[in-house]
Amino acid sequence: MATTTGTTRRNGVSAAAPAAQEPREKTKDSTRAFNVTAAVVLTVFAVLWLLPSLFALKTSLTTNSTAALGAPAILSDLQITFGSYLTLFQAGDIWNWYLSSFITSAVTTVLTVLFASMGGYALSRLRFPGRNLVFLLMILGIMVPAQVLVVPTFQMLDAAGLLNTYWAVIFPQVPAVIALFVFKQFFDGLPRELEEAARIDGAGYWRIYRQVVMPLSGPVVAAMAIVTFVGVWNNLILPLFVLSNPELMTIPVGLATVQGSFGQMFADIQASAVLGALPLVVLYMIFQRRIIEGVAGTGIKG
Amino acid sequence: MLAGGLAGAGALGLTGGLSGCGSPLAAGVAGTPLNPESVTFWNLFGGGDGARLQTMLDVYREEQGSPESLTAATFAWGNPYYTKVVLATLGNKPPDVAVAHATRATILAEAGLLEPITDDLLGLAGLSSSSFTESVWEAGRVGDSYYTIPLDTHPYVLFYNAEVCQQAGLVGDDGKLVTIEGREAFEAALTEIKGVTGDVGMVCSNVGDTSGSWRLFQTLYWQMDGATDFLAEAGQQLTVNEELALATMDYIGGLAKSGLITPTIDYAGAGTKLFTGKAGFQTQGEWEITTAQGIEGLTFGMVPIPTVFDQPAAQADSHTFIIPRMERTDAQRELAMGFVKSLLDQSLTWAEGGHVPALKATLESPEYQALEPQADYASAAEIAKYDPPGWYSGSGSTFENIVGAQIGLVQQQLASPQQALDAIKEQLRTYLDTPSPVLGS
Amino acid sequence: MTTLTTPPPVPPSAATRPDGSPDTGTRVKTRDARAGWLFLAPFAFFYALFLIVPTLYMLITSFFNTSLVRPGLGSFAGFANYAEMFGRADFWSAMWHTLQFTLYTTPPLVVLAFVFAVLANRLKRGQWFYRLAFFLPFVLPSATIGLIWVFIFTPGTGLWPTVQGWLGMEPTAVLADPSWAMVGIAIATVWWTIGFNFVLYLAGLQDIPRELYEAAAVDGASPWQQIRSITLPLLSRTTTLVVLLQIIASLKIFDQVYLMTQGGPGISTQVALTQIAAIGFTDNRIGAASAFSVLLFIVIIAIALIRQLFERNQDRSA
Repeated sequence: MATTTGTTRRNGVSAAAPAAQEPREKTKDSTRAFNVTAAVVLTVFAVLWLLPSLFALKTSLTTNSTAALGAPAILSDLQITFGSYLTLFQAGDIWNWYLSSFITSAVTTVLTVLFASMGGYALSRLRFPGRNLVFLLMILGIMVPAQVLVVPTFQMLDAAGLLNTYWAVIFPQVPAVIALFVFKQFFDGLPRELEEAARIDGAGYWRIYRQVVMPLSGPVVAAMAIVTFVGVWNNLILPLFVLSNPELMTIPVGLATVQGSFGQMFADIQASAVLGALPLVVLYMIFQRRIIEGVAGTGIKG
Repeated sequence: MLAGGLAGAGALGLTGGLSGCGSPLAAGVAGTPLNPESVTFWNLFGGGDGARLQTMLDVYREEQGSPESLTAATFAWGNPYYTKVVLATLGNKPPDVAVAHATRATILAEAGLLEPITDDLLGLAGLSSSSFTESVWEAGRVGDSYYTIPLDTHPYVLFYNAEVCQQAGLVGDDGKLVTIEGREAFEAALTEIKGVTGDVGMVCSNVGDTSGSWRLFQTLYWQMDGATDFLAEAGQQLTVNEELALATMDYIGGLAKSGLITPTIDYAGAGTKLFTGKAGFQTQGEWEITTAQGIEGLTFGMVPIPTVFDQPAAQADSHTFIIPRMERTDAQRELAMGFVKSLLDQSLTWAEGGHVPALKATLESPEYQALEPQADYASAAEIAKYDPPGWYSGSGSTFENIVGAQIGLVQQQLASPQQALDAIKEQLRTYLDTPSPVLGS
Repeated sequence: MTTLTTPPPVPPSAATRPDGSPDTGTRVKTRDARAGWLFLAPFAFFYALFLIVPTLYMLITSFFNTSLVRPGLGSFAGFANYAEMFGRADFWSAMWHTLQFTLYTTPPLVVLAFVFAVLANRLKRGQWFYRLAFFLPFVLPSATIGLIWVFIFTPGTGLWPTVQGWLGMEPTAVLADPSWAMVGIAIATVWWTIGFNFVLYLAGLQDIPRELYEAAAVDGASPWQQIRSITLPLLSRTTTLVVLLQIIASLKIFDQVYLMTQGGPGISTQVALTQIAAIGFTDNRIGAASAFSVLLFIVIIAIALIRQLFERNQDRSA
């Protein structure tokens, strides 16, 4: 798998399909038939996969009274209204949730990328006593399920007086061991000539890291940043317990716990679901390639 | 250590430039209080209650002359709500005022999370302990202190479809349901109704509604002579009268088996059956009055659940206001009590939503007495049977979930009363064996 | 929270040389040492504070009657919290539901993702569309997934029962029915996370040399034969990885259950982490919740170790 990451990065996931080039006539026919079948089957599934999102979107664009009548009414209603979105924007909570999600995700991303790349640089380039022990600890750290630590983490944040602050969401997510390893692996693959030249010029490690190594690490920084950002944005269990005030909640927590005055207002609820997803859809549209590379290479799996 | 170091540094960098005190940003970065000048209010009211509350909150905002004077949030009912209140209080960002069931407020108080409601505090709202019905006021007592400002009592009652009952000959000359007393009369009435509806006599929701099943059980169980509280010693002892509990479950299961009540129906479905005339009776919390009133062409009434056994009883709880513990200035305390007073002043509006007012002045007022059908079942509040004491008990609690689930199974004919009781005892064992984790040792 | 899909690099002493420079003078060594620790310090600080300390704290509190709402550790409990867990019916049922979730989600997540990736890989056009359809849900917040699927499963009027009605089936109240609720959660999960496996398989497919297919095609192998004799065996590593990652993710399932059923109806979908949260934050029993956490922790680490061993074996035989 180590090579997988490299290959992916070189070719991109969308590299051309392995189509057979000079087959015999009969195989050619069967290949074409197979490809047509493949396209049909896959398209059917893809449409099926899009349906839930489209249904949510459609519901969010009807009135609450139509939505209350159920799926047939929603599907047959041709009117489009943005009333639910207006309601949510006016109610105001959603702005606070966006703010909270944005700050926690951005700050965590910056700290994680900075600290993990520094650590990865140390492990890749520097020899120091205790290095093997650090390595072992980090490997163990990969296995530690952070979700399982939610109870003691809550207790610690409580003791530190950090509950109901953004820091309670940021700090525990900074030590992403995975990022450290990805950086180390990347640095291992970088040619050393430039660094050695810089060292001969008298540059210290910090300057080498900043002016030589990091400028060469654009792709991996981007991939790590985006994976971290998405991961923090989507985290539910940690902010669910450490942010209990509606004005401080992140998007997922707000969606999960606050009903507001919209008890059974299905259009409003689906609109809130769409709004919660919207920034990530935009992010996906812009950074599609990076996100897929980052995920395929590191795996942000719940 | 952390708070002082990193958060402090962040606070200097970010909040200094970006925002003033009291904004979510400042609170999130530096931990400053949120909205010190306005009232923050949390509640768990959905459905009709939620809509009615909104109008009451709007009145308060109008009185204050500014929409910013109040920040209100509604959370999902039951355990998730109380967990939020606990965690927010531990995290120093509780609401100024929150709603709690009396049975849950006492547990929060034992955990040291609430401010006691003193005479001085009540005085800020122009109230005293004698302003409330005595039993409701007493329900908020822990030791020698009181921790709740009661808003209402909400008994489990009987809804009836007037048209169906008319045809079944159960409506008297006054246009109201005749008094039904005793097993024979009750079952005869159900049989009559079943004949009219061609479906069932009564609906009692039991799918995905453990609280509903528990309420039905608690009501019927306490109607029997010799009933004792299910739990005692803060939930450390099982003191239920097992013989009567089995008899109660046997009765519920039997009614379902004979088709007089529904064996399997969920909360929303139960309402639909009554409203569409497929059932004549429904046992339900009085708050569903709002839903019933919204059904076009439906005539219905509400009365205390008939005394099927030896004495009248009705499961009930009370919504109360609590003041979660945090550092407060006198001005904030006054603001909070001003808000409570505003809502209590609107007790009649609240009572229109079905709840029996806790404020004596409202309960005894001619306006309330004239409310139909509210006044017809107000007496159910006098025979209220609250959930038993225990750190895991109360409305929407683990206790209700455990016991209610089994009773629901008996009604569904999926468990015998004995199996259900054994399962209840087995599942409660851990809780019975555990000293209250909220009490300081 | 993140899992490495690439095996962790081997410790430097064994394989790579940490420093390409042949210069091993003492002066450089101490400079290296100081710089090494300085570079590591920020990360190590957070690592120690938010991974090591909570793990130790969890271990300690699991032996005490620690309360959420009272300061201090509370009275010493010995192994009572652990004994309680093994004796609790709902502990075992939570473990069983976790396993049940794994069994429901893993086969479709593996098979469908494999099929989708192999088919998509053959097609020259429309790649972006398939990636959008299959992968986009994976980057959305679980809260959005929960809201969408709870609405789809609304008894009676939701999209699901409506479609069932069109197909002439008896509509199911999926999330309200104890025997169906976990199936509903599994369906939402498969929909949500298939994109992850999809891109892993696509990446794996890139590694298969094109010459293999060409040679097979020259020999007259049909596309189906090619898939069976080339793609399937060569992707077996990816499949193993996908299955193990899914098992580990399943053990940590929380979001979907919390959002869609809250563990209900009854406790029919209560899983390990929702049960831990309930004991810790609803029952206020940190000590007991910690004991459960430790047990779950051990299971997860054990499976992660099995994975390491497995991969080491594969590396050796490869």
